[in-house]
Amino acid sequence: MKKIAVCYKWVLSDADIRVNEKTRELDMEKCKPQISEYDRNAIECGVQIKKAAGGELVGMTAGAAVTASTKDALSRGLDTVSFLEDGVMKDADSTTTSKVLAGMIKQIGDVDVVICSEGSSDEYARQTGPRLAALLGWPSVSYVSKVTVSGDSFELERKMEEGTEVVSVAAPVVISVLPDVGEAPIPGVKDILGAKKKPANAVSLGDIGLSADAAKPLTAVKSVLAPVTSRKNVHLNPDGVSIADAAAALVKQLSADGVL
Amino acid sequence: MRDIWIVADNSAWADVMVTCAKGIAVDAEITLFKLALPADGLWESHAAPLAEKAKADKPAFILVEGSKRGRDLAAQVAALIDAPLFTDGRNIKAEGNTVTAETLVYGGAAIKTVSTEAPTVLVTIGAKDYEPTAGAAVAEGSVSPAAGPKVTARKPRPAQTVNLGEAAKVVGVGRGFSEEAELSAARDLAAAIGAEVACSRPIAEFFKWMPEECYIGISGQVLKPDLYLAVGISGQAQHVFGVRDAKTIVSVNKDAECPMNQNADYYIVGDWKEVLPALIAAARR
Repeated sequence: MKKIAVCYKWVLSDADIRVNEKTRELDMEKCKPQISEYDRNAIECGVQIKKAAGGELVGMTAGAAVTASTKDALSRGLDTVSFLEDGVMKDADSTTTSKVLAGMIKQIGDVDVVICSEGSSDEYARQTGPRLAALLGWPSVSYVSKVTVSGDSFELERKMEEGTEVVSVAAPVVISVLPDVGEAPIPGVKDILGAKKKPANAVSLGDIGLSADAAKPLTAVKSVLAPVTSRKNVHLNPDGVSIADAAAALVKQLSADGVL
Repeated sequence: MRDIWIVADNSAWADVMVTCAKGIAVDAEITLFKLALPADGLWESHAAPLAEKAKADKPAFILVEGSKRGRDLAAQVAALIDAPLFTDGRNIKAEGNTVTAETLVYGGAAIKTVSTEAPTVLVTIGAKDYEPTAGAAVAEGSVSPAAGPKVTARKPRPAQTVNLGEAAKVVGVGRGFSEEAELSAARDLAAAIGAEVACSRPIAEFFKWMPEECYIGISGQVLKPDLYLAVGISGQAQHVFGVRDAKTIVSVNKDAECPMNQNADYYIVGDWKEVLPALIAAARR
């Protein structure tokens, strides 16, 4: 392999989303930015391909504020990171993101394979990989759970609804991987220190020959609201109520509710 | 109203999308592209020829089955014709030149309403999002797949051992369990109350302690049991989405503040090693 590109998204962690009970709007104040969960598996997949077939492993990301992501990304086994930080990405939809990433991939050149995850933890639209493939004119192979490289060819196992599909494809190709392609190790101290010495290259829309107008999203967000839920939220063992008493109360309650 | 295209590999899903299309516009002229799975190629190899046809015919909507293959094909077509795609869109409305639709974000924790003025809009449609309309009058469209990667083998998934979709009671296990052998405690509880056992995504995908069809979540099983009892599950939005329509949700977790407790009707804060035996004893009484 010459270059293996892995795309990742710098997202807000959804673990600390709070919902404003009155307006149903999301309060993201406590949410920290992180590499989208499944993208960490995609990076690990890139690491494994590099181990098997050699090559330079390049991380790619684009967003309104992604500079802070590069150290984390580089600590996960990438050799370099190309990142595009531009305000236009604030309202990016899948159309914008894939055009920008395709431009970045063309700009660095010599890419044999692009690895994406199945989808991001925030939008989970599952579009970036296949869209990238279409824009680059390469085959898209998605929902891949196993990657085997030999020379410049790949044998890919796709996990479909009805079973597995084994696909044989030559580079260049865009592969969208499921998280079970490989568990992402947590970077150690050495990896984190080593990341500081690796290059992170800033790229601009001008560098990839894309005007802000051409990168404009085709969609506009009207609202993002949590659905109304009506759970009772009864804590059965507050203030020292014993587990045995709580368990008995639960069984009684569930029987009364007619669900046990 | 211009044409609405429907793209599916089977009639059942096509019938669901007919209902969706008629909901968008009662007088929609529907063209069905029923695309067969090529014997030795990808179904998505239909994307480029479909995009060529869409460029020429300019349909108002292209509705594609929300299967894995469907989502991949739809994204490729969208990129090729520079159009927006709403993944598993619901509540699709066309008014004047504006189309709005709802999609789920943050693993189902929120609903995003999006609008577009694009002349052609793609939407993937879930298999259960509409009641099917059988036998509707639709035009037949066809395209031949382009050359592409070779499919060298297809292996069916082993027959399912449990039918979680039918279960009235489900016990879910998560990362609160630290080894496979510990799951026997959850199985004992399930046996005591006549429930099936399911799990969170990592238990099936990373640890492989349970078969894949047992994991609950936005990308796995979406269930509607009378009772869902989550044990040692933190309750990420992706997981909760899979049981949001359960009649009653119970959570057992060490962490009082975990999202699963917040999404439960009843919760007990404590170690499952203590709580499960107590529950079994109470259930048997």
